[in-house]
Amino acid sequence: MKNLIKEFTKGIIKENPTFVLILGLCPTLAVSVSVANGIGMGIAATFVLLGSSLIVSLVRDFIPDKIRIPCYIVIIATFVTIAEFCMKAYSPVLDRALGIYVPLIVVNCIVLGRAEAFACKNNFSRSFFDGLGMGVGFTLALILISAIREFLGSGQILGHTLIKGFEPVFVFGMPSGALLVIGLLLGFFNILKNRKS
Amino acid sequence: MNIQEFLTIFISAVFIYNVILSRFLGLCSFIAISKETKPALAMSSAVMFVIVASSAITWFVYRFLLMPFNLAYLRTISFILVIATFVQLVEMVIRKISPQLYRAFGIYLPLITVNCAVLGVAVLNIDMFFVNGKAVAGSFYYSVFQGACVGLGYTLAMLLMSGIRERLELCNVPKALKDFPLAFIIAAILSLSFMGFNGFKF
Amino acid sequence: MKDNLIVSGSPHIHKKGSISNIMWAVVISVIPAGIAGVIIFGLDALWVTIAAVIAAVLTELVLEAWAGKKITVFDGSAVITGILLAFNLPPNVPLWLPVIGAVFSIAIGKQVFGGIGQNIFNPALVGRVFLMASWPKYMTIFVKPFDALTGATPLAALKEGKILEHISYLDLFLGKRGGCIGEVCILALLIGAAFLLIRGHLSWHIPASYIFTTAVFTYIFGAAQLFHGDWLFHILSGGLILGALFMATDYVATPLTAKGQLIFGVGCGLLTAVIRIWGGYPEGVSYAILMMNGATPFIDRYTRIRIYGTK
Repeated sequence: MKNLIKEFTKGIIKENPTFVLILGLCPTLAVSVSVANGIGMGIAATFVLLGSSLIVSLVRDFIPDKIRIPCYIVIIATFVTIAEFCMKAYSPVLDRALGIYVPLIVVNCIVLGRAEAFACKNNFSRSFFDGLGMGVGFTLALILISAIREFLGSGQILGHTLIKGFEPVFVFGMPSGALLVIGLLLGFFNILKNRKS
Repeated sequence: MNIQEFLTIFISAVFIYNVILSRFLGLCSFIAISKETKPALAMSSAVMFVIVASSAITWFVYRFLLMPFNLAYLRTISFILVIATFVQLVEMVIRKISPQLYRAFGIYLPLITVNCAVLGVAVLNIDMFFVNGKAVAGSFYYSVFQGACVGLGYTLAMLLMSGIRERLELCNVPKALKDFPLAFIIAAILSLSFMGFNGFKF
Repeated sequence: MKDNLIVSGSPHIHKKGSISNIMWAVVISVIPAGIAGVIIFGLDALWVTIAAVIAAVLTELVLEAWAGKKITVFDGSAVITGILLAFNLPPNVPLWLPVIGAVFSIAIGKQVFGGIGQNIFNPALVGRVFLMASWPKYMTIFVKPFDALTGATPLAALKEGKILEHISYLDLFLGKRGGCIGEVCILALLIGAAFLLIRGHLSWHIPASYIFTTAVFTYIFGAAQLFHGDWLFHILSGGLILGALFMATDYVATPLTAKGQLIFGVGCGLLTAVIRIWGGYPEGVSYAILMMNGATPFIDRYTRIRIYGTK
């Protein structure tokens, strides 16, 4: 059990997919305009991660080594399609806000990376917790980035105004603001890391 | 289908909605390979080729397979499969025909399968040039042209970035910002300067 | 005489120039434009400039102290960044705007790259486009000269298709128009540039090729009919002269060789004209210069001077 908890927690800080492994940046930057979008993207990606990790770890013994990547991609794409259609049915607003970045979860390096690096070598329960941990880590990173961007870019968090009279810095709602935030955050984490060691 | 339409696609794909600086597609490869100009150029040409070819192929797949049989929901799966197969094929062909070319950009080909730019453009083409389940007039040409322009935008961002980062090798950059963080900040400034083209109209 | 007989390694001939000498010379050269701005727009222009300069210097001081580097605030480079940033702002902005802009200029435009001599982009312009993207409503309201009414700049009026009334070339040349603090008085800018040129701190390649290219391109495409554009108007209005003389000639962010500088100038001119004629913004000088700053390492690479004796 202790092992499983370790598999879960490592994805959140020690091997955080966004800030430590620097994977899956396209959706992170593109949809982090608002916290709601960030959470939606995080949940969709976590769902795909969980599903693909599970299936890959179950069928890993039957897949010939040479064509494993295409097989993984098909498994991932199936879950992405499920997520896509659920989102279209239950939350069309979110679907429109996330746009092409939902189908693009297929090529999110985190998902394929976990399948290739972890799920194909580990059993079912460990892969499940690994996928869950990575998904939660990804979602938390998304929430952090999107909270910064939404607050600075529109003066609000989840639609609530925080400080009255704050002049929103529009640039943080734009692509360049996203690049700036992630650059400065990475620098900030580097400073923390240097200080520790 | 007129010249203005093509010019608009060109400007918006290369500058305003630059794949990397505005749509963030292919960001991973951009950050990882833009440290030097030579590999950056090789990667760009490989991406360019794959994007153009896959734009054409996915258009045919969508128009003549998925649409007539009402299989549009298989879009994501079929596109990624087609792209992966195509890339694999190109890699094998290049390896056989021209080892020199293979050395120059063949090693980047497997990476391109999971490059979001390729799938992104394919999906974007369908979203933009198929209205209400029907292909707009000239949509094939638009798709291929948009693929080429996106590839150009990728190349442009890659070249600028690799030039800048090569020069930064000689600077004593703050330790915490070395490599990735600084690359993102430079990309942010480039993205800000490309905003000058916003609202472009002929 | 005695000093000349000391045996030493090369270089033997020293020019009495240093970074701070040059930077302070540049500061002196932009003073006429600043005075003109204050005369035209009133004391507001002065406060904006002072706020930007103080914020720039303080940011540089704090960041360099924090990073444990040599403090270089007295070399005048932060001062010139602050002044140039303020010159690119409308005179009636709230004072926190130049302050934030200057902090951004120095922090993101300069110190992130390692400080003086290493910045890839012109710091003042980085600050300006940041402000432009963040608070467009403050950045696009301009007062008319000599009264408190707001009005469009000549370029913005041209973009909206309004007829330009009561603006002669002489008015544009002397600065009797709406615009940013430092860009309006062409005469004062030319005086400053002449000073730098005489002192040898300015080469003509970038300004000349920049202005010439913009003129040619706006002459050809600037009007509904080909070859009917008002090129003189395009040269005299907006920030072209300020940009070409003082922003595009940044020592660090521009190519090293004469050939590279000509390419840089032509590129700036082309981009400026394209944005002015077809873009969404009335003015493209800052964006054009920033884009070419980004291309500078690339230009340098292909215009490197051949080392004597090599192929």
